[in-house]
Amino acid sequence: MLRESSDRQGTLDRLNLQGAVDHSDSGVPHDSLLTAFAEAAVRRTDSLPGLRERIAAELGPQELVDSAGVVANFQRMVRIADGCGIPLDDFTKEASEDWRDQLGLHQYASAANTA
Amino acid sequence: MTTTIAPFSYIDTDWQIPGRIRDAHRRSWERLSAAGDWWTGAERVSIAAECRRASALVDGLPDPGAGPAELPEAAVFAIHRLIGDLPNVSRDWYDATVSADGMSDARYVELLGVLVAVWSVDEFHRAAGLPLEPLPSPITGEPTQRRPAGLADNGSWPPTLAAKSLADSEADIYLGFPRAANVWAAMSLHPDSVRWLNDLFHAHYLSWEEIGDLETEHRTLTRAQLEIMAGRVSALNECFY
Repeated sequence: MLRESSDRQGTLDRLNLQGAVDHSDSGVPHDSLLTAFAEAAVRRTDSLPGLRERIAAELGPQELVDSAGVVANFQRMVRIADGCGIPLDDFTKEASEDWRDQLGLHQYASAANTA
Repeated sequence: MTTTIAPFSYIDTDWQIPGRIRDAHRRSWERLSAAGDWWTGAERVSIAAECRRASALVDGLPDPGAGPAELPEAAVFAIHRLIGDLPNVSRDWYDATVSADGMSDARYVELLGVLVAVWSVDEFHRAAGLPLEPLPSPITGEPTQRRPAGLADNGSWPPTLAAKSLADSEADIYLGFPRAANVWAAMSLHPDSVRWLNDLFHAHYLSWEEIGDLETEHRTLTRAQLEIMAGRVSALNECFY
């Protein structure tokens, strides 16, 4: 989805998928602030209140609400996926074959549950 | 004269919470309090309470207390694993859980449906810096014990419903799409969990229709910004899917 949306927005050539799994620059505007917020929310770190305020101040209060919504949504979706041991969809398998290894996703424990 | 404040009123918040989120959260509490297909309303509220206990345990916070009904031991264990120990969820663990006393594949899927709904509503509140909403009082009623027709092994641990196999009573769950991604179909053994997922998915992120529309920005964050955050949350949870 990230590759598709970047392609449509003409930013695919600057996209670095590694940015989703570590702190490297993904090429997405404000990515470091947004992913730091996501990480603080998931890991419950003390930096969360400050990052919340920064998103509200630098991007806007509705962007903060959007950000909280994304965290909520994917905290849910990963538990559905891993709780049901779902297989990869055919279209995902084909589209992601080249970069799953590259990002080290096969090292995740849940890789054994997702055929 | 006393005034009752509706749940999820978001009156004293620093941020304006959109109506689609507020209304979906209210519907969530209505669904939570009523009997499902395999658990009573009191048991469903207890699943929610145990979910909060598991979260508090992980976060080092005081125990918020158990819910109104006793749950099977395997259900309690499943809730704690799904909240705080996701990397150790495995096929063997799933098989043992659904075979345990007081459990079944259908009860597991409904438990998961309740858990992920309550967890995501709570996670929205935590991320936005809002207090958690008190859990609702359960509504009296008996589970229907209704198992949908057309279930099949489609590769997930529990059996699921393919879009082409939906009976009239479940015809709405994939919103008329001719096929559903595996994560969408994962909980179709308990169809109302899919309906609940559809509601919260749209409220927190995008509707299933909006996902396919890459030409339009549906939120204040750009689609790429939503997706880089989604990828980060998934990576932090070590979710391969």
